[in-house]
Amino acid sequence: MSNNWCNSPDHPWNPSRREFLQVGALGALGLSLGDALKLQASESFPTPKAKAQSVIQIYLPGGCAHQETWDPKFDAPVEYRGPLGTVKTKTGEYFSQYMRRTAAIADKITVIRSMTHGEAAHERGTHNMMTGNRPSPALEYPSMGSVVAHEQGPRKNLPPYVIIPNQTRNSGTGYLGSAYGPFSLGSDPASSSFQVRDLKLPSGIDDKRFDKRRNMRSIVDAHFSGLEKADALDGMDSFYQRAYSLISSPEARAAFDIKKESSKIRSAYGMNQAGQRMLLARRLVEAGVRYVTLTYGGWDMHGGIQRAMERTLPSFDQAYAQLITDLDQRGMLDNTLVLVTSEFGRTPKINRTAGRDHWPKVFSVAMAGGGVKRGYIHGSSDPTGAEPEEKPFTVAQYASTVFNMIGINPEKRLDSPGGRPQAIVTGEPALNNEILA
Amino acid sequence: MTMNKLIVTLCGLTLASASLMAEAPKLVDVRVYPADIHLSSKIDKQSIVVQGWYSDSTSKDVTAQAKLSVGDAKIAKSDSNWITPLKDGKTVAKVSFGGRSFDLPVTVTNSSVTPALSFYQDIVPVFTKASCNTGGCHGAASGKDGFMLSLFGYDPDGDYHRVTREQVGRRINLALPDDSLILEKGAGRVTHTGGKLFDQDSKLYQTVRAWIADGAKKDPSTVAKVIGVEIYPVQAVLKGKGSTQKLTIRAKYSDGTDRDISDMAAYITNNDLAADVKQDGTLVAGEPGEAFVMARYDAFTVGAQVLVIPDTENFQWPNTPENNFVDTLVHNKLKKIRVTPSGLCDDKTFVRRAYIDIVGQLPKPDVVKAFVENKDAKKRDKLVDELIERPEFNDIWVMKFAELLQIRTDNNRFLYKSAYQYFEWLKERFQENMPLDDIVKKLITANGDTFVNPAANFYKVEQTPLKLSENTAQIFMGMRIQCAQCHNHPFDRWTMDDYYAFQAFFAQIGRKRGVDTRSSVVYNRRSGGVRHPVGNKDMKPKFLGAEVPEIKSGEDRRAILAEWLASPRNPWFAKNMANVVWAHFFGKGIVEPVDDVRISNPPSNPELLAELGKRFSDSKYNFRELVANICKSRTYQLAAVSNESNQLDTRNFSKGYIRRIRAEVLLDVINQVTDAPDKFSGIPLGSRSVEIVDGRTSNYFLTTFGRSTRGSVCSCEVSIDPNLSQALHLLNGSTVNGKLSRAPWLQDLIKKKAQPEDVVNEIYWRCLSRSATDREMAKLKEFFTDPKEYTNSYYDIFWAVLNSKEFFFNH
Repeated sequence: MSNNWCNSPDHPWNPSRREFLQVGALGALGLSLGDALKLQASESFPTPKAKAQSVIQIYLPGGCAHQETWDPKFDAPVEYRGPLGTVKTKTGEYFSQYMRRTAAIADKITVIRSMTHGEAAHERGTHNMMTGNRPSPALEYPSMGSVVAHEQGPRKNLPPYVIIPNQTRNSGTGYLGSAYGPFSLGSDPASSSFQVRDLKLPSGIDDKRFDKRRNMRSIVDAHFSGLEKADALDGMDSFYQRAYSLISSPEARAAFDIKKESSKIRSAYGMNQAGQRMLLARRLVEAGVRYVTLTYGGWDMHGGIQRAMERTLPSFDQAYAQLITDLDQRGMLDNTLVLVTSEFGRTPKINRTAGRDHWPKVFSVAMAGGGVKRGYIHGSSDPTGAEPEEKPFTVAQYASTVFNMIGINPEKRLDSPGGRPQAIVTGEPALNNEILA
Repeated sequence: MTMNKLIVTLCGLTLASASLMAEAPKLVDVRVYPADIHLSSKIDKQSIVVQGWYSDSTSKDVTAQAKLSVGDAKIAKSDSNWITPLKDGKTVAKVSFGGRSFDLPVTVTNSSVTPALSFYQDIVPVFTKASCNTGGCHGAASGKDGFMLSLFGYDPDGDYHRVTREQVGRRINLALPDDSLILEKGAGRVTHTGGKLFDQDSKLYQTVRAWIADGAKKDPSTVAKVIGVEIYPVQAVLKGKGSTQKLTIRAKYSDGTDRDISDMAAYITNNDLAADVKQDGTLVAGEPGEAFVMARYDAFTVGAQVLVIPDTENFQWPNTPENNFVDTLVHNKLKKIRVTPSGLCDDKTFVRRAYIDIVGQLPKPDVVKAFVENKDAKKRDKLVDELIERPEFNDIWVMKFAELLQIRTDNNRFLYKSAYQYFEWLKERFQENMPLDDIVKKLITANGDTFVNPAANFYKVEQTPLKLSENTAQIFMGMRIQCAQCHNHPFDRWTMDDYYAFQAFFAQIGRKRGVDTRSSVVYNRRSGGVRHPVGNKDMKPKFLGAEVPEIKSGEDRRAILAEWLASPRNPWFAKNMANVVWAHFFGKGIVEPVDDVRISNPPSNPELLAELGKRFSDSKYNFRELVANICKSRTYQLAAVSNESNQLDTRNFSKGYIRRIRAEVLLDVINQVTDAPDKFSGIPLGSRSVEIVDGRTSNYFLTTFGRSTRGSVCSCEVSIDPNLSQALHLLNGSTVNGKLSRAPWLQDLIKKKAQPEDVVNEIYWRCLSRSATDREMAKLKEFFTDPKEYTNSYYDIFWAVLNSKEFFFNH
């Protein structure tokens, strides 16, 4: 069984190791870095052509069992096979029995069954999959969403990076400035009282009056802005700019209003957390948000995996299949990359409490749209789901491939505190062309 | 000295203007390490390091230039920088440099004895030095390639077994020592995944070889253990790339002997760009910057701070005045790193800053104006003294301690009544300015009914010895010892033994239901213990990093702990508390984060932290005096405006740091300027949000701006990072918009048909502690053309001011 402390977000792999580095940072001295490093920083990195205009990252926190979802081991001995049955997909593969609808759209997605890394603790595995980098004691890396916010900025008056519903571990800015942090809704679209607060002007204030207020604010703010620079000040300024664009654009605001969807569509996704979160994600990318991260469920199924999957998986199945179908019908699938990831998979053998424990050596991720092959299975795990058998897919490969599809060069260097340049993906970068259409 | 003078004179002659030349730095101090020398065997030796400090705050390794000799040449002799024994007795080592001389006492014992090599003392260090036993190699939990060693040698007995007994005949060869596999592998003579680690003629190889040749004997159970490691010098300021400083590392053993282990410690730097460290203990300066260099030996890690500055610099210290010791110590660091502090902030800024930080409020306009007019040279000190005596000062610190003590309700387990009593108890202690050590002692030793003695809630909030010991270390010593629950701490000195022995202080706490069934009674159960998960040994209570105290059976272990915990005998308590207070006033601790004190997270200014801690304990833990010392310093009063040299400074306190005002205080000042208080559950209308008793009481504003829920003792519970929701809420949310129009003073001014300029200035004074600048006034007056629009414009300007960074940042 897992140990509570090790799973806690407080386990100190996590707290910002930025602080650690700062003592050693050159910047603190007011002295400049060596010329060699400066040269490196100004090197130019060719920008790959973007196939994906936006990303929906569906994150299944806790570590989703690959055996009970994308990679069932139906011919393994029962202690490996687990309690669930299978369903045949449209492409002739097998998924878990609770993935019936996803099986029917398997011809539109790619499943990578050979994802692999070595971090079996939640916080370290999450760091891998959210940032694309191995955790380091010296530095906290930015989430992939924050890198997108940093590199590509806002579009159509919307924040570039949105989290549904709340910010989770490693979804923040890491070593990048606070301005690139996500906008988290703070409220669940599945709830009947769902509303993103403060988007509308207060009653009695019309656009004209608001413009006047904005003018006045810039007069008052100018004095102080002229005095000093600080990361927190820049961050606040950029959030004010985002807020202004959001408030002044009815289209942008409407993106957050899930009630604008017909009840038919809403129930097609499922009137539950998975359904409404994925539907809102679609609305947001449709309106211009570049990167949406949504979390769904608790997948840390150390005990009673059969019941836990029964409770959790069907609504995911319905929502995900609907999301892919919906995007495809709207002609958005080819430029929207949909990722389904988790920090790791689960142990090959069922444990004493009828569950599975942490297993990073091999697990599955699903990718769809945004230039990914349709109806493709990449790599495989061995017969007991213990090791990658073919085409092991590393974290660096995963991150490099995703960044390439979004049009960001994973080898590009960003400035970390003290001006030390850091590659976006620090592992051996390797674009995987096999999964691209 | 003479040489320097000569150079200066020569230059003066050759150059037209001598003033063009920066004066050559003068030698101001010479430090010799170690302070004493103990040689306790025929082969014992000790290296000496001589460090010169110069008037430009740089240091130089002058060991090679210093003269070294021995007083009584029959007892010991010197060879370059080494002292070696000749005959038992006492003498002195004489060191002289730059006209200064030092006598280091030398004691020689057992000078005719060559001790046998010991597995623990001599061989395990080889494994560590050659990095055989690191986590990536044989130190991994399951070893590597079939051979396992304990991580950094924490289990020498196990290692001995694995080297000599596991797979007998494979790893060592007593007959032909050179054919031993561990030597063949280490020397790279046979295929080895880890490659070649040492040469055949190296000390590492020869030590292991000699031990095997001597029969690879098992250590007697009395073998002396390492009890501490010293590193010298603890600080260096190196000028120019390539300059070096030799380190001397000395291990102390439980039998009273010591050893120079400079060539056997494993060295690590946290910034190899600034300072690299060679495996013989030589620091090599790289690019300008700051590095922390650590030496690991046995279970100990020690560190030294290294600053590297360019040799081409032309830095002139501006001779900034110093208000007290804080400034002296901050300036010492700034001189070393060539940073000029910013100027003093103006009076208006100071009053606003001090009010927000000390009492969590904004100063009234009259107060600011009177302060500016006041000609008293001591007026800033007097303001600090006055604010510290206000009840609102206590509220801020009660709130902070309520966070540390996690005062929050928990359904039926921790009732509001308990939370309220606990909070009030804390408040009374601060109101009477009880010395902090007494407060801590009352908490740690608390017994009795929680409804009668609210301090006993310390044992109701958390119940398990595990959590109680971890929290006690984190709150009062700033240390996160959690790692050592499952494994020896990877970045610090704490072992599992330390962890469970510390936990044992909390092993005999009894709890039962009180007379009122909602309360609990905490008492000394007089029995019970904590067992080490490896070996199941019952652990004797041991202070963290200190001794095992004498405790009689049944005696309250917590009473013994409290006497040590909150006393100068605990090297961390006073420093940690001083750091927590410091961080409140600067937004950054000297150790940052404040509750992550460890060797690999060093303080940015160790001397400052040490002195703050020392003065705090010397003052008998007088909390208000500590705050006064900090706030009266010039350092606290610097302007938040950078100069060329300190633009990038975030850790050395060379300027005022701009901080977003924390959630509770920000809501309180919004309420203050709008005169529209909130009503929080459990406290009367008009109470400020810093007075909220329960961590679970909150509202949208407080949550969005990062108020602590008090769910854990971690300093990370409080967040002052900006985000989009905050901007949206200030722009459109109910807090600002709902309260604006309620401000009675603004309604009065409007009713009185006051002049626009006066109204605008009143808004400015109340919110920003200043009047509008001419430029601002001119621009804002453009909005006053149609008198019918005046009222709206006033509210809009008020809104704009509340939405300005100048308002919600403390600067």
